[in-house]
Amino acid sequence: MDHAIEIMGLRKEYRGFALDNVTFDVPQGYIMGLIGPNGAGKTTIIKLVMNLIRRDAGEVRLFGLDNLRSEAAVKSRIGFVYDIPRFPEDLRLQTIASAISAFYDKWDDGRFRDLLDEFRLSPRQVFKKLSHGMKMKFSLAVALAHDADLILLDEPTAGLDPVFRLELLTKLRALIQNERKTVLFSSHITSDLERVADFITFIHKGRIVFSAAKDEILETWGVVRTAVDGLKPEDIPGVRGIRRSEHSLEVLTSDLAAAKGLLCGRTVFDKASLEDIMFYISKGNAHA
Amino acid sequence: MLKILRLEFLFSRRQLVITLSIFSAYFSYMATQIRSPRVFIVLTSVMIGVAMPFLVLAREDKFKTASLICSLPVRRSTVVLGKYTATWGATVLGLGCALLLMAVFPFSKIPVGEVLTVKSLLITLFLISLIFAVILPFTIRFGLVGVIVLLVGSQVLGILALLITHMLRGAKDPLRVFFLPFQKGLKALFYHETTPGYLLTLLTLIIAFSAASLFISRVLYARREL
Repeated sequence: MDHAIEIMGLRKEYRGFALDNVTFDVPQGYIMGLIGPNGAGKTTIIKLVMNLIRRDAGEVRLFGLDNLRSEAAVKSRIGFVYDIPRFPEDLRLQTIASAISAFYDKWDDGRFRDLLDEFRLSPRQVFKKLSHGMKMKFSLAVALAHDADLILLDEPTAGLDPVFRLELLTKLRALIQNERKTVLFSSHITSDLERVADFITFIHKGRIVFSAAKDEILETWGVVRTAVDGLKPEDIPGVRGIRRSEHSLEVLTSDLAAAKGLLCGRTVFDKASLEDIMFYISKGNAHA
Repeated sequence: MLKILRLEFLFSRRQLVITLSIFSAYFSYMATQIRSPRVFIVLTSVMIGVAMPFLVLAREDKFKTASLICSLPVRRSTVVLGKYTATWGATVLGLGCALLLMAVFPFSKIPVGEVLTVKSLLITLFLISLIFAVILPFTIRFGLVGVIVLLVGSQVLGILALLITHMLRGAKDPLRVFFLPFQKGLKALFYHETTPGYLLTLLTLIIAFSAASLFISRVLYARREL
Protein backbone atom coordinates (compact mmCIF):
# COMPACT_ATOMS: atom_id res chain seq x y z
CA MET A 1 0.00 0.00 0.00
CA ASP A 2 1.42 3.41 -0.98
CA HIS A 3 1.43 6.07 1.68
CA ALA A 4 0.64 9.74 1.22
CA ILE A 5 2.08 10.53 4.65
CA GLU A 6 4.72 8.64 6.64
CA ILE A 7 5.62 10.09 10.02
CA MET A 8 8.50 8.50 11.91
CA GLY A 9 9.74 9.33 15.41
CA LEU A 10 8.50 12.91 15.23
CA ARG A 11 9.40 15.03 18.21
CA LYS A 12 8.66 18.63 19.11
CA GLU A 13 9.13 20.11 22.53
CA TYR A 14 7.53 23.22 23.97
CA ARG A 15 7.62 24.44 27.54
CA GLY A 16 5.07 22.24 29.32
CA PHE A 17 4.25 20.08 26.30
CA ALA A 18 6.11 17.61 24.14
CA LEU A 19 5.12 15.72 21.06
CA ASP A 20 7.01 12.53 21.66
CA ASN A 21 8.08 9.86 19.17
CA VAL A 22 5.00 10.19 16.97
CA THR A 23 4.87 7.50 14.29
CA PHE A 24 2.01 6.71 11.91
CA ASP A 25 1.20 6.41 8.21
CA VAL A 26 -1.69 7.61 6.08
CA PRO A 27 -2.39 5.31 3.09
CA GLN A 28 -3.10 6.99 -0.24
CA GLY A 29 -6.78 7.31 -1.13
CA TYR A 30 -8.16 7.20 2.39
CA ILE A 31 -9.35 9.57 5.10
CA MET A 32 -7.28 9.51 8.27
CA GLY A 33 -8.91 11.07 11.31
CA LEU A 34 -6.55 12.54 13.85
CA ILE A 35 -8.41 12.69 17.13
CA GLY A 36 -7.57 13.72 20.64
CA PRO A 37 -8.67 16.19 23.25
CA ASN A 38 -7.76 19.87 23.01
CA GLY A 39 -4.03 20.36 23.52
CA ALA A 40 -3.18 16.75 22.64
CA GLY A 41 -0.87 17.74 19.78
CA LYS A 42 -3.05 17.43 16.66
CA THR A 43 -2.34 20.91 15.33
CA THR A 44 1.36 20.51 16.17
CA ILE A 45 1.52 17.38 13.99
CA ILE A 46 -0.21 19.13 11.08
CA LYS A 47 2.06 22.17 11.41
CA LEU A 48 5.10 19.89 11.41
CA VAL A 49 3.82 18.17 8.27
CA MET A 50 3.43 21.62 6.65
CA ASN A 51 6.81 22.77 8.02
CA LEU A 52 5.19 25.74 9.72
CA ILE A 53 7.13 24.84 12.86
CA ARG A 54 10.56 23.21 13.21
CA ARG A 55 10.81 19.64 14.34
CA ASP A 56 13.27 18.63 17.02
CA ALA A 57 13.66 15.09 15.69
CA GLY A 58 12.07 12.55 13.40
CA GLU A 59 11.06 12.44 9.79
CA VAL A 60 8.02 13.34 7.70
CA ARG A 61 7.70 11.88 4.21
CA LEU A 62 4.94 12.99 1.85
CA PHE A 63 4.43 10.89 -1.28
CA GLY A 64 7.81 9.31 -0.45
CA LEU A 65 9.62 12.68 -0.35
CA ASP A 66 11.08 14.41 2.69
CA ASN A 67 8.84 17.36 3.57
CA LEU A 68 11.81 19.69 4.19
CA ARG A 69 14.16 18.75 1.37
CA SER A 70 11.35 18.69 -1.21
CA GLU A 71 9.22 21.37 0.44
CA ALA A 72 7.93 23.16 -2.65
CA ALA A 73 7.30 19.93 -4.57
CA VAL A 74 5.25 18.30 -1.82
CA LYS A 75 3.35 21.46 -0.91
CA SER A 76 2.20 21.85 -4.50
CA ARG A 77 0.29 18.58 -3.99
CA ILE A 78 -1.31 19.64 -0.68
CA GLY A 79 -4.54 21.52 -0.07
CA PHE A 80 -4.42 22.97 3.44
CA VAL A 81 -7.35 24.20 5.48
CA TYR A 82 -6.53 25.99 8.74
CA ASP A 83 -8.63 25.90 11.88
CA ILE A 84 -8.87 29.69 11.55
CA PRO A 85 -8.61 30.81 7.90
CA ARG A 86 -5.61 33.12 7.40
CA PHE A 87 -6.39 35.42 4.50
CA PRO A 88 -6.12 39.22 4.24
CA GLU A 89 -9.48 40.24 5.65
CA ASP A 90 -10.06 43.33 3.51
CA LEU A 91 -9.67 41.69 0.11
CA ARG A 92 -12.22 40.21 -2.26
CA LEU A 93 -12.25 36.45 -2.66
CA GLN A 94 -11.24 36.73 -6.32
CA THR A 95 -8.17 38.82 -5.42
CA ILE A 96 -7.05 36.33 -2.78
CA ALA A 97 -7.56 33.43 -5.18
CA SER A 98 -5.72 35.27 -7.95
CA ALA A 99 -2.69 35.80 -5.68
CA ILE A 100 -2.64 32.17 -4.55
CA SER A 101 -3.43 30.52 -7.88
CA ALA A 102 -0.06 31.54 -9.39
CA PHE A 103 1.72 29.13 -7.03
CA TYR A 104 -0.09 26.05 -8.35
CA ASP A 105 0.52 24.67 -11.84
CA LYS A 106 -2.69 22.65 -11.60
CA TRP A 107 -4.91 25.51 -10.44
CA ASP A 108 -8.25 25.22 -12.22
CA ASP A 109 -10.13 28.50 -12.20
CA GLY A 110 -13.28 26.88 -13.57
CA ARG A 111 -13.29 24.37 -10.73
CA PHE A 112 -12.69 27.16 -8.21
CA ARG A 113 -15.70 29.11 -9.56
CA ASP A 114 -17.80 25.93 -9.49
CA LEU A 115 -16.84 25.33 -5.87
CA LEU A 116 -17.72 28.92 -4.95
CA ASP A 117 -21.10 28.46 -6.65
CA GLU A 118 -21.60 25.19 -4.84
CA PHE A 119 -20.81 26.87 -1.51
CA ARG A 120 -23.00 29.85 -2.45
CA LEU A 121 -20.11 32.33 -2.35
CA SER A 122 -19.50 35.20 -4.74
CA PRO A 123 -15.95 36.00 -5.94
CA ARG A 124 -16.70 39.67 -5.28
CA GLN A 125 -17.42 39.16 -1.58
CA VAL A 126 -14.94 40.65 0.86
CA PHE A 127 -13.37 38.04 3.13
CA LYS A 128 -14.02 39.86 6.43
CA LYS A 129 -17.74 40.04 5.70
CA LEU A 130 -18.06 36.25 5.60
CA SER A 131 -19.27 34.21 8.56
CA HIS A 132 -16.89 31.63 10.05
CA GLY A 133 -18.65 28.86 8.15
CA MET A 134 -18.37 30.75 4.86
CA LYS A 135 -14.69 31.45 5.52
CA MET A 136 -14.15 27.72 5.98
CA LYS A 137 -16.01 27.07 2.72
CA PHE A 138 -13.75 29.52 0.91
CA SER A 139 -10.67 27.85 2.46
CA LEU A 140 -11.93 24.51 1.26
CA ALA A 141 -12.59 25.86 -2.25
CA VAL A 142 -8.99 27.16 -2.40
CA ALA A 143 -7.66 23.83 -1.11
CA LEU A 144 -9.62 21.84 -3.70
CA ALA A 145 -9.11 24.12 -6.72
CA HIS A 146 -5.60 22.95 -7.57
CA ASP A 147 -6.29 19.23 -7.74
CA ALA A 148 -4.33 18.48 -4.56
CA ASP A 149 -3.53 14.83 -3.89
CA LEU A 150 -3.53 15.36 -0.14
CA ILE A 151 -6.00 17.50 1.79
CA LEU A 152 -4.92 18.54 5.28
CA LEU A 153 -7.71 19.85 7.47
CA ASP A 154 -6.99 21.19 10.92
CA GLU A 155 -10.17 21.19 13.01
CA PRO A 156 -12.27 22.29 10.02
CA THR A 157 -15.60 21.61 11.70
CA ALA A 158 -14.89 23.36 15.01
CA GLY A 159 -17.39 26.15 15.59
CA LEU A 160 -19.55 25.22 12.60
CA ASP A 161 -23.25 24.52 12.61
CA PRO A 162 -24.40 20.90 12.04
CA VAL A 163 -25.72 21.67 8.56
CA PHE A 164 -22.39 22.87 7.25
CA ARG A 165 -20.52 20.16 9.12
CA LEU A 166 -22.58 17.54 7.35
CA GLU A 167 -22.14 19.34 4.03
CA LEU A 168 -18.36 19.39 4.50
CA LEU A 169 -18.20 15.74 5.49
CA THR A 170 -20.31 14.73 2.49
CA LYS A 171 -17.99 16.73 0.24
CA LEU A 172 -14.93 15.01 1.68
CA ARG A 173 -16.45 11.57 1.32
CA ALA A 174 -17.34 12.30 -2.31
CA LEU A 175 -13.82 13.51 -2.95
CA ILE A 176 -12.35 10.25 -1.74
CA GLN A 177 -14.83 8.08 -3.59
CA ASN A 178 -14.61 9.92 -6.89
CA GLU A 179 -11.03 11.07 -7.05
CA ARG A 180 -9.08 8.82 -4.66
CA LYS A 181 -7.61 11.75 -2.78
CA THR A 182 -6.02 11.38 0.65
CA VAL A 183 -7.32 13.38 3.61
CA LEU A 184 -5.79 13.97 7.04
CA PHE A 185 -8.55 15.46 9.15
CA SER A 186 -7.87 16.54 12.73
CA SER A 187 -10.81 17.01 15.05
CA HIS A 188 -11.96 16.58 18.58
CA ILE A 189 -15.53 16.07 17.31
CA THR A 190 -15.46 12.30 17.18
CA SER A 191 -18.86 11.92 15.51
CA ASP A 192 -17.52 13.71 12.41
CA LEU A 193 -14.67 11.27 12.08
CA GLU A 194 -16.86 8.28 12.84
CA ARG A 195 -18.93 9.36 9.86
CA VAL A 196 -16.16 9.72 7.27
CA ALA A 197 -12.79 8.39 8.40
CA ASP A 198 -11.28 5.13 7.18
CA PHE A 199 -8.44 5.19 9.69
CA ILE A 200 -8.12 6.78 13.10
CA THR A 201 -5.00 7.98 14.88
CA PHE A 202 -5.60 8.85 18.49
CA ILE A 203 -3.20 11.23 20.17
CA HIS A 204 -3.13 12.06 23.85
CA LYS A 205 -0.66 14.28 25.69
CA GLY A 206 1.68 14.30 22.71
CA ARG A 207 1.81 10.52 22.28
CA ILE A 208 0.08 8.24 19.82
CA VAL A 209 -2.27 5.92 21.68
CA PHE A 210 -3.23 3.94 18.56
CA SER A 211 -3.42 4.24 14.80
CA ALA A 212 -5.64 1.71 13.09
CA ALA A 213 -8.59 1.16 10.73
CA LYS A 214 -11.75 2.73 12.13
CA ASP A 215 -13.91 -0.34 11.54
CA GLU A 216 -11.39 -2.52 13.33
CA ILE A 217 -11.37 -0.14 16.31
CA LEU A 218 -15.14 0.03 16.51
CA GLU A 219 -15.33 -3.76 16.19
CA THR A 220 -12.71 -4.75 18.77
CA TRP A 221 -12.75 -1.98 21.36
CA GLY A 222 -15.38 -1.98 24.07
CA VAL A 223 -16.45 -0.78 27.48
CA VAL A 224 -16.84 -3.29 30.28
CA ARG A 225 -19.04 -2.26 33.19
CA THR A 226 -18.83 -4.67 36.08
CA ALA A 227 -19.76 -4.94 39.73
CA VAL A 228 -17.87 -8.19 40.34
CA ASP A 229 -16.22 -8.00 43.77
CA GLY A 230 -12.49 -8.26 43.99
CA LEU A 231 -11.92 -7.90 40.24
CA LYS A 232 -8.75 -6.07 39.39
CA PRO A 233 -8.93 -3.96 36.20
CA GLU A 234 -5.52 -5.28 35.17
CA ASP A 235 -7.06 -8.74 34.92
CA ILE A 236 -9.29 -7.61 32.03
CA PRO A 237 -7.59 -8.27 28.67
CA GLY A 238 -6.59 -5.23 26.62
CA VAL A 239 -7.32 -2.69 29.33
CA ARG A 240 -6.71 0.87 28.06
CA GLY A 241 -8.66 3.07 30.47
CA ILE A 242 -10.31 2.74 33.86
CA ARG A 243 -13.12 4.62 35.64
CA ARG A 244 -14.14 3.65 39.13
CA SER A 245 -17.33 4.56 40.93
CA GLU A 246 -18.56 3.55 44.36
CA HIS A 247 -20.26 0.36 43.26
CA SER A 248 -18.85 -0.44 39.86
CA LEU A 249 -15.84 -0.47 37.65
CA GLU A 250 -15.76 0.71 34.05
CA VAL A 251 -12.94 -0.44 31.84
CA LEU A 252 -12.13 0.47 28.28
CA THR A 253 -10.63 -2.52 26.51
CA SER A 254 -9.09 -2.93 23.09
CA ASP A 255 -10.02 -6.63 23.14
CA LEU A 256 -13.74 -6.83 23.85
CA ALA A 257 -14.02 -10.45 22.67
CA ALA A 258 -11.37 -11.65 25.12
CA ALA A 259 -12.98 -9.66 27.94
CA LYS A 260 -16.33 -11.29 27.17
CA GLY A 261 -14.70 -14.71 27.34
CA LEU A 262 -13.18 -14.02 30.72
CA LEU A 263 -15.96 -12.27 32.60
CA CYS A 264 -19.49 -13.35 33.31
CA GLY A 265 -22.28 -12.27 35.67
CA ARG A 266 -23.03 -8.69 36.82
CA THR A 267 -21.08 -7.41 33.82
CA VAL A 268 -22.25 -5.38 30.84
CA PHE A 269 -20.30 -5.28 27.57
CA ASP A 270 -20.73 -2.48 25.05
CA LYS A 271 -18.89 -1.63 21.88
CA ALA A 272 -16.92 1.56 22.33
CA SER A 273 -17.54 4.64 20.20
CA LEU A 274 -14.68 6.99 19.42
CA GLU A 275 -16.17 9.33 21.98
CA ASP A 276 -16.03 6.58 24.63
CA ILE A 277 -12.41 5.89 23.73
CA MET A 278 -11.49 9.56 23.95
CA PHE A 279 -13.37 9.94 27.22
CA TYR A 280 -11.90 6.91 29.01
CA ILE A 281 -8.36 7.56 27.82
CA SER A 282 -8.48 11.28 28.51
CA LYS A 283 -10.36 11.26 31.78
CA GLY A 284 -9.74 7.79 33.17
CA ASN A 285 -6.51 6.22 34.30
CA ALA A 286 -5.03 5.58 30.90
CA HIS A 287 -3.15 2.42 30.10
CA ALA A 288 -1.76 3.46 26.74
CA MET B 1 10.11 34.92 -6.48
CA LEU B 2 7.91 36.70 -9.04
CA LYS B 3 4.92 34.85 -7.61
CA ILE B 4 5.69 36.24 -4.14
CA LEU B 5 6.09 39.72 -5.61
CA ARG B 6 2.74 39.39 -7.37
CA LEU B 7 1.11 38.15 -4.17
CA GLU B 8 2.59 41.01 -2.15
CA PHE B 9 1.37 43.50 -4.74
CA LEU B 10 -2.16 42.07 -4.84
CA PHE B 11 -2.32 41.90 -1.05
CA SER B 12 -0.95 45.43 -0.49
CA ARG B 13 -1.82 47.45 -3.59
CA ARG B 14 -4.51 49.52 -1.86
CA GLN B 15 -2.11 50.40 0.96
CA LEU B 16 0.57 51.22 -1.61
CA VAL B 17 -1.73 53.73 -3.31
CA ILE B 18 -2.72 55.25 0.06
CA THR B 19 0.92 55.49 1.20
CA LEU B 20 2.04 57.06 -2.09
CA SER B 21 -0.80 59.58 -1.86
CA ILE B 22 0.28 60.55 1.67
CA PHE B 23 3.90 60.73 0.48
CA SER B 24 2.89 62.98 -2.42
CA ALA B 25 1.16 65.40 -0.07
CA TYR B 26 4.08 65.29 2.36
CA PHE B 27 6.78 65.75 -0.31
CA SER B 28 4.83 68.56 -1.97
CA TYR B 29 4.77 70.39 1.35
CA MET B 30 8.42 69.62 2.11
CA ALA B 31 9.50 70.79 -1.35
CA THR B 32 8.08 74.22 -0.53
CA GLN B 33 9.75 74.37 2.88
CA ILE B 34 13.24 72.99 2.38
CA ARG B 35 15.92 74.62 0.29
CA SER B 36 18.76 72.28 1.11
CA PRO B 37 18.98 69.16 -1.10
CA ARG B 38 20.95 67.42 1.67
CA VAL B 39 18.19 67.91 4.25
CA PHE B 40 15.65 66.77 1.69
CA ILE B 41 17.65 63.59 0.97
CA VAL B 42 18.01 62.70 4.65
CA LEU B 43 14.35 63.35 5.46
CA THR B 44 13.16 61.44 2.39
CA SER B 45 15.45 58.51 3.16
CA VAL B 46 14.31 58.24 6.78
CA MET B 47 10.64 58.63 5.87
CA ILE B 48 10.74 56.03 3.10
CA GLY B 49 13.13 53.74 4.97
CA VAL B 50 10.79 53.45 7.93
CA ALA B 51 7.46 53.52 6.07
CA MET B 52 8.06 50.95 3.33
CA PRO B 53 8.86 47.91 5.53
CA PHE B 54 5.67 48.69 7.46
CA LEU B 55 3.71 48.96 4.24
CA VAL B 56 4.85 45.56 2.95
CA LEU B 57 5.12 43.64 6.20
CA ALA B 58 2.59 45.15 8.60
CA ARG B 59 -0.40 43.61 6.85
CA GLU B 60 1.12 40.18 7.16
CA ASP B 61 1.41 40.81 10.87
CA LYS B 62 -2.10 42.20 11.14
CA PHE B 63 -3.84 39.33 9.35
CA LYS B 64 -1.33 36.64 10.36
CA THR B 65 -0.95 35.66 6.72
CA ALA B 66 2.62 34.42 7.22
CA SER B 67 1.26 30.93 7.83
CA LEU B 68 -0.74 31.18 4.59
CA ILE B 69 2.33 32.23 2.60
CA CYS B 70 4.50 29.54 4.22
CA SER B 71 1.94 26.86 3.40
CA LEU B 72 2.26 27.67 -0.32
CA PRO B 73 4.66 25.68 -2.49
CA VAL B 74 7.59 28.02 -2.09
CA ARG B 75 10.72 27.95 0.07
CA ARG B 76 10.95 30.35 2.99
CA SER B 77 14.20 31.80 1.65
CA THR B 78 12.31 32.73 -1.54
CA VAL B 79 9.55 34.31 0.54
CA VAL B 80 12.13 36.55 2.26
CA LEU B 81 13.79 37.45 -1.04
CA GLY B 82 10.34 38.35 -2.39
CA LYS B 83 9.62 40.57 0.60
CA TYR B 84 12.95 42.38 0.23
CA THR B 85 12.34 42.90 -3.47
CA ALA B 86 8.80 44.12 -2.78
CA THR B 87 10.09 46.53 -0.12
CA TRP B 88 12.78 47.89 -2.45
CA GLY B 89 10.25 48.11 -5.26
CA ALA B 90 7.91 50.16 -3.08
CA THR B 91 10.92 52.27 -2.02
CA VAL B 92 11.90 53.03 -5.60
CA LEU B 93 8.28 54.02 -6.29
CA GLY B 94 8.29 56.30 -3.23
CA LEU B 95 11.61 57.85 -4.24
CA GLY B 96 10.45 58.30 -7.81
CA CYS B 97 7.34 60.00 -6.51
CA ALA B 98 9.42 62.34 -4.29
CA LEU B 99 11.88 63.23 -7.05
CA LEU B 100 9.13 63.80 -9.59
CA LEU B 101 7.27 66.14 -7.25
CA MET B 102 10.42 67.99 -6.44
CA ALA B 103 11.07 68.49 -10.16
CA VAL B 104 7.60 69.43 -11.38
CA PHE B 105 5.89 70.91 -8.31
CA PRO B 106 5.54 74.64 -9.10
CA PHE B 107 6.39 75.86 -5.58
CA SER B 108 9.37 73.58 -5.10
CA LYS B 109 12.43 75.38 -3.72
CA ILE B 110 14.86 72.52 -4.13
CA PRO B 111 17.28 72.69 -7.05
CA VAL B 112 16.58 69.49 -9.00
CA GLY B 113 20.03 69.44 -10.56
CA GLU B 114 21.68 69.06 -7.16
CA VAL B 115 19.57 66.10 -6.14
CA LEU B 116 19.45 64.18 -9.40
CA THR B 117 23.13 63.27 -9.32
CA VAL B 118 24.67 59.82 -8.99
CA LYS B 119 26.20 60.86 -5.67
CA SER B 120 22.91 62.11 -4.17
CA LEU B 121 20.99 59.08 -5.35
CA LEU B 122 23.63 56.71 -3.99
CA ILE B 123 23.66 58.51 -0.64
CA THR B 124 19.86 58.22 -0.50
CA LEU B 125 19.99 54.50 -1.29
CA PHE B 126 22.83 54.06 1.21
CA LEU B 127 20.82 55.65 4.02
CA ILE B 128 17.73 53.62 3.13
CA SER B 129 19.71 50.38 2.97
CA LEU B 130 21.17 51.22 6.39
CA ILE B 131 17.68 51.63 7.87
CA PHE B 132 16.39 48.51 6.09
CA ALA B 133 19.37 46.52 7.31
CA VAL B 134 18.16 47.01 10.88
CA ILE B 135 14.39 47.20 10.53
CA LEU B 136 13.68 44.45 7.98
CA PRO B 137 15.16 41.49 9.89
CA PHE B 138 13.28 42.56 13.02
CA THR B 139 9.99 43.00 11.16
CA ILE B 140 10.38 39.72 9.27
CA ARG B 141 11.24 37.73 12.36
CA PHE B 142 9.15 39.35 15.07
CA GLY B 143 6.51 41.35 13.19
CA LEU B 144 5.38 44.77 14.36
CA VAL B 145 5.94 43.85 17.99
CA GLY B 146 9.59 43.29 17.12
CA VAL B 147 9.87 46.71 15.53
CA ILE B 148 8.17 48.35 18.49
CA VAL B 149 10.58 46.53 20.83
CA LEU B 150 13.47 47.67 18.61
CA LEU B 151 12.34 51.31 18.60
CA VAL B 152 11.54 51.41 22.32
CA GLY B 153 14.79 49.56 23.06
CA SER B 154 16.74 52.06 20.96
CA GLN B 155 15.11 54.93 22.84
CA VAL B 156 15.89 53.36 26.22
CA LEU B 157 19.49 52.76 25.14
CA GLY B 158 19.65 56.34 23.87
CA ILE B 159 18.40 57.69 27.19
CA LEU B 160 20.89 55.52 29.06
CA ALA B 161 23.68 56.72 26.77
CA LEU B 162 22.66 60.33 27.41
CA LEU B 163 22.59 59.81 31.16
CA ILE B 164 25.95 58.08 31.20
CA THR B 165 27.48 60.72 28.95
CA HIS B 166 26.05 63.46 31.11
CA MET B 167 27.29 61.89 34.34
CA LEU B 168 30.75 61.09 33.06
CA ARG B 169 31.48 64.25 31.15
CA GLY B 170 29.18 66.72 32.73
CA ALA B 171 28.34 67.95 29.25
CA LYS B 172 25.94 70.84 29.01
CA ASP B 173 24.35 69.52 25.85
CA PRO B 174 24.34 65.71 26.02
CA LEU B 175 22.09 65.44 22.95
CA ARG B 176 24.82 67.01 20.87
CA VAL B 177 27.31 64.45 22.15
CA PHE B 178 24.94 61.66 21.21
CA PHE B 179 24.15 62.90 17.72
CA LEU B 180 27.64 64.10 16.87
CA PRO B 181 28.77 60.80 15.28
CA PHE B 182 25.66 60.81 13.03
CA GLN B 183 26.28 64.43 12.03
CA LYS B 184 29.92 63.73 11.29
CA GLY B 185 29.01 60.63 9.32
CA LEU B 186 26.45 62.49 7.20
CA LYS B 187 28.85 65.39 6.60
CA ALA B 188 31.54 62.98 5.47
CA LEU B 189 29.06 61.39 3.08
CA PHE B 190 27.85 64.64 1.55
CA TYR B 191 31.10 66.61 1.40
CA HIS B 192 33.43 63.87 0.26
CA GLU B 193 34.85 64.48 -3.16
CA THR B 194 32.85 62.66 -5.83
CA THR B 195 35.48 60.29 -7.09
CA PRO B 196 34.73 56.96 -8.83
CA GLY B 197 36.28 55.19 -5.82
CA TYR B 198 33.91 56.95 -3.44
CA LEU B 199 30.86 56.12 -5.54
CA LEU B 200 32.00 52.52 -5.87
CA THR B 201 32.48 52.30 -2.10
CA LEU B 202 28.96 53.63 -1.54
CA LEU B 203 27.54 51.12 -4.00
CA THR B 204 29.52 48.28 -2.39
CA LEU B 205 28.25 49.30 1.07
CA ILE B 206 24.64 49.39 -0.18
CA ILE B 207 25.02 45.88 -1.60
CA ALA B 208 26.89 44.63 1.48
CA PHE B 209 24.30 45.99 3.96
CA SER B 210 21.44 44.61 1.89
CA ALA B 211 23.08 41.22 1.46
CA ALA B 212 23.91 40.94 5.18
CA SER B 213 20.39 42.00 6.13
CA LEU B 214 18.88 39.53 3.65
CA PHE B 215 21.06 36.73 4.99
CA ILE B 216 20.07 37.45 8.60
CA SER B 217 16.39 37.70 7.65
CA ARG B 218 16.52 34.37 5.83
CA VAL B 219 18.06 32.65 8.85
CA LEU B 220 15.53 34.27 11.21
CA TYR B 221 12.54 33.50 8.98
CA ALA B 222 13.61 29.88 8.55
CA ARG B 223 13.45 29.56 12.34
CA ARG B 224 10.14 31.36 12.69
CA GLU B 225 7.38 29.18 14.10
CA LEU B 226 3.93 29.90 12.70
